[in-house]
Amino acid sequence: MTIENKKGWISWFNPFKYGSDRWMFALHRLTGIVLGLYLIAHVWETSNILNGQVTWNKIMVDLDYPFGVHFGPYILSLVLVAAVYHAFNGIRLTIVENGLMLPRPYRPEYPYKAKSLSGLNNVLKIVLGIFMIAVSAIGIIYIFTGVII
Amino acid sequence: MRESQIMFLQYMTGLLILVFGSFHFLLISVLSPSPQKVLYIYSGINASHILVGGTLYYTWVKAVYSSLIWGSVFELLLTFLVYHVFNGFRVILSEIIPGGRAEKAITYILFIAGLIVFIWGTRTVVIGLGGGF
Repeated sequence: MTIENKKGWISWFNPFKYGSDRWMFALHRLTGIVLGLYLIAHVWETSNILNGQVTWNKIMVDLDYPFGVHFGPYILSLVLVAAVYHAFNGIRLTIVENGLMLPRPYRPEYPYKAKSLSGLNNVLKIVLGIFMIAVSAIGIIYIFTGVII
Repeated sequence: MRESQIMFLQYMTGLLILVFGSFHFLLISVLSPSPQKVLYIYSGINASHILVGGTLYYTWVKAVYSSLIWGSVFELLLTFLVYHVFNGFRVILSEIIPGGRAEKAITYILFIAGLIVFIWGTRTVVIGLGGGF
């Protein structure tokens, strides 16, 4: 049986009119796809270590200066932020989707506000959000300056 | 495998990637064998784009690939990542293209694609450990 997917994939990236969880879902998908494609490129890129010093260093430089601009740190920062977001939101999903930190089941009553979208889940979002910003900042500072905090 | 088992593994590999991925990030910073803990060092100030050092310099990356511990970390990380990424792609594609036959096709195609990435990465790790640079 085929189930119609009326709005299609475009609806994943339309978190407007919905709550913060929907935004997080959209970003989780987006970062997941980007990181997945990055993994494939990264496996290819690192396999060049077997091709000797000249090839490896040339590829490192070409990836760092793709258009004659020192671009590598920006790409790496984006990958880092995507990975950190995906990781911390993934921790939250592992907790929440397994039924932890959610309210007890209750009878749905008008106006049907989901209790699962408030309370501990929100605290978790804020705590993990703070960690996320801290880890991203440490990473970006290292990528650009080489300074390890 | 049942879908619930597949998703359980998705969560587990996710957590394992978190652990091993952290090692990977430490490797190109604090734990790098490079004496200067910075990604790139170029020659001269107005660099003619000649890499002369940094944690991504050939010598240090080669040293990492020659180490049995790091080789094992890479291999495990690769295994978890390939499962997590390609199962993630499968879930996404199954939602875009619904239907039993489509899902089977997606599963087979992504399985083969994942296997290729896994073999390609394993090849790097194994040859690197064998000293075949």
